[in-house]
Amino acid sequence: MRYTGTMTPAALLTDLIALTTALEADGATDTRRRQQRDRAIGKELHGQRKRPARQLSGWLRRVDIADWRPSGAHAGVHLYRVLGVSLAVLGLAVGWTLARGVLSYSGQTPINIFHVVSALVLPQILLLVVWLLLALPGASALFSGVRATLGVVHPGRLAQRFAARLERGRTPGLQLLWTQHQSRVMTPAGRWLVSYWSQLFAVWFNVGALLALAYLTAFSDLAFAWSTTLNLDNAEFHRLLQWLSWPWHNLYPQAVPSRELIDASRFYRLQSGGFEPAPPLSAAQLGAWWPFLFLALTSYGLLPRLVTLLVSWLRLRVHLARALAHIAGAAELLARMNSPLVTTVCAHDDVIAGAPGANADASDPVPSARTDGVAMACPVVGWSGTYAQRERLAPRLRGLGIEPLDWQDAGGGRSLHEDRTLVASLCQKRQSGVAVVVRAWEPPLLDFIDFLRDLRRQCGARQAIVVALWGGEHPVATRDSEVWRHALRQLHDPYLHVETLEPTP
Amino acid sequence: MSTPRFAVVGHPNKGKSSIVSTLANDEQVMISALSGTTREVQEYPLMVDDETLYVLIDTPGFQRPRAALEWMHAQAGSSAERPQVVRRFVEQHQGDARFEAECRLLAPLIGGAGILYVVDGSRPFGHEYEAEMEILRWTGQPSLALINMIGSGDYRHEWENALGQYFRIVRVFNAMKADFDKRLQLLLAFAQLCEAWRAPLERAVQVLRAERQRRRTGAVRLIAECLAGMITYFRESPLDSSKSIDRQRAALGEAYRAALTRREQACRQAVESLYDYNRLQRREAVVDILDEDLFSSLSWRLFGLTRRQLVATGGVGGAAAGSVIDVAVGGHSLLLGSGLGALIGGASAWFSADRIADIQLLGKSLGGQVLRIGPMRNINFPYVVLGRALLHLRMLEGRTHACREPLELVSAADSLRTAGHRQRAGVEKVFAALRKQGAGDPALLDRLGHAIEPLLDGGDEPEA
Repeated sequence: MRYTGTMTPAALLTDLIALTTALEADGATDTRRRQQRDRAIGKELHGQRKRPARQLSGWLRRVDIADWRPSGAHAGVHLYRVLGVSLAVLGLAVGWTLARGVLSYSGQTPINIFHVVSALVLPQILLLVVWLLLALPGASALFSGVRATLGVVHPGRLAQRFAARLERGRTPGLQLLWTQHQSRVMTPAGRWLVSYWSQLFAVWFNVGALLALAYLTAFSDLAFAWSTTLNLDNAEFHRLLQWLSWPWHNLYPQAVPSRELIDASRFYRLQSGGFEPAPPLSAAQLGAWWPFLFLALTSYGLLPRLVTLLVSWLRLRVHLARALAHIAGAAELLARMNSPLVTTVCAHDDVIAGAPGANADASDPVPSARTDGVAMACPVVGWSGTYAQRERLAPRLRGLGIEPLDWQDAGGGRSLHEDRTLVASLCQKRQSGVAVVVRAWEPPLLDFIDFLRDLRRQCGARQAIVVALWGGEHPVATRDSEVWRHALRQLHDPYLHVETLEPTP
Repeated sequence: MSTPRFAVVGHPNKGKSSIVSTLANDEQVMISALSGTTREVQEYPLMVDDETLYVLIDTPGFQRPRAALEWMHAQAGSSAERPQVVRRFVEQHQGDARFEAECRLLAPLIGGAGILYVVDGSRPFGHEYEAEMEILRWTGQPSLALINMIGSGDYRHEWENALGQYFRIVRVFNAMKADFDKRLQLLLAFAQLCEAWRAPLERAVQVLRAERQRRRTGAVRLIAECLAGMITYFRESPLDSSKSIDRQRAALGEAYRAALTRREQACRQAVESLYDYNRLQRREAVVDILDEDLFSSLSWRLFGLTRRQLVATGGVGGAAAGSVIDVAVGGHSLLLGSGLGALIGGASAWFSADRIADIQLLGKSLGGQVLRIGPMRNINFPYVVLGRALLHLRMLEGRTHACREPLELVSAADSLRTAGHRQRAGVEKVFAALRKQGAGDPALLDRLGHAIEPLLDGGDEPEA
């Protein structure tokens, strides 16, 4: 799949969920394979080196991990989109309904501008101030109580709770942003997602309200006036409306209610016979209030909410990208991608065949000590330097029931020819057997095995051959004894015995 | 420039594979007490991405050195011909089972590889080594002898005398215990064998040092993440009023301890993997502090809000409703409407909360009491966890891949003793910030990592 490089919140959210599950599944991948794979991908994405989120996105689109399906992340993002659309539709419906309610006109009592402003404009200004306070850096801790308090009626929070219900028991989805309460990485992204949803609701609420106003203005005969029990005279009300009209008073002065309009459109419920506009204004002229209402809703409702929606969208993007680069395992992954791969291990997988003796038949008896208990007088061969220790070794051999008749030197620095001559001379005489003393710590080379085979061939199949293991100044180590027995087992020789000599002091 | 290649050769069972395992950081190299475990030639290149800086070659041991030397003696005319004779030996005995081991181990040498001859310095020298050393001398390749101290005996002087006659450089090297610097020194010793090898080997040393630092930084980061997670970890569970609270508390405590142990073990494994240990066996006791009585608390929740937040919400709602009255009377009520509304709203929320909490939605109660265990309050807890992690890391760094014994993690309490006062204070500050802010802040983790790393190398000032 080709990396498109899109960094929308939806794409980042997909990557965030996918990366979390991918890194979890990747734990089972062989370390070396993982290093090689990630470095190869890192080299491909070298141009994105300073943009970790893009690198990680690129990695996700290239990596192939067993038991991991990138499509799993799409369910979470689908829910994000569905909740967004639902909130937009809900906002549109609520805005339309509320505006229709506030602007309902039976033909008797005119629509009170005071109500319309109180219901559709002032709360939006108030909520905008709250949003700005909550969006301030560091406000998170300061206004946590306010946030929790508003949580129950907050459209974004409601969407979050709804998402939690829908995703319960499923693989990580949107909940990833909220379930890790301890995570300072995820929390900001989660907060901005809630804010984004709320602003989406608010924008569509204003669109709904404006559409309702436009529809009613166009297709019905609305009469606006104003009335209040408050001790508010016409001049004060005029000042208040001028203050409210400040954003567009230069751009569209006709939409700023004039003092004449205010004076003429005030009414009191105690007036008998309904409301009659004061001359010189006609009933039609009272409809001139609508541009003010339209621009007030646009200026204090729609436009600020479009800005807050954009800010929320951008902040959500930033924090999702930040979270992507900081979730557990991402730093290690980036290090693997961006650091030179240093390997020192074997280049092949066909590491080392079985140990020697692997071809020995397991049913072969391990060469053991002699069991007949009969004392044996025989020549003794000192293999590879043990000849020099013959004075010290003789009593140890006698302890095993072997009486050395004479000592011969073989192996070590002697030539093969000398060894062959020795074997021939040993086998010429009829002996009860031959003992060979070896240094137990030196493993049996094929060189020694050749010597034993030569001895067996020339001395006959039933001649007892005793290999006496000598450990020098120490007892023969079990490990060394096993090495010898294991090697000699491969000769399949029932008259070959292995004895262990006591250490020489 | 040709890539330096070194063949590790010698008698069987003298630790050639251990040397390779240690130098290549490869725990997959088969090491066995059985003689002749290595039967194939295996190459272990040091590669930086696609560039090879040197190649280490593991070879089987000599099996019939006297017979091979005898053949060579029969062929050689003069000393100058000896390398050619060795080459001829390999060429003529390819496929000959009798000299299979000799052909395999000599092949890299006639291909230009340097010789790394390995003997066991804990056992006495024997004349049977002379034939193989003579063959190696005949190859004419640059050579270095390593006295590998496998056992408890010490015959290094005996060996030095013997090896000195055949090899220009003789070094003592314990494949099981050689620390990182000793391994680098060995590489630099190789560089002395041939001028052409100096540059790549010096670069290899630089690369290995950088890689070592990278791994250490990565390991410290893993430890910091684990530590932060363990310090701030808590576990919650809705309280089931039909069951014994003590039993529920015990079950939650057990789950809490198990989760902390799992986190710690996962960290160990990740650190080991970073150091190329994937098969390491480890023996370690559970953190003893976890056996203490754990702090637990009960709290009340509805819609995720605490009772206090819920009352505040009710209060705000009531105040909003009451403010309508205040507005209606032109403010003459002196905000009495808002105040009364807030009181009524808050009180309603307080008294109706339990009834609402019991309401079932989709089979789940909307609210109720929540039992919570953790975070761990014992102030020694982070130090114990950190001490254990540092001990583990130090042991890993001091260990070689040739060592196949289980890693025994004991006496972790001492592992922070070398820390100086300033370092301890630095660590404590981060612990305090973690307890306050929670884990997961990358900047805080960086701070913790920076505070931990110097502890690996000892303290800044001795404590009285």
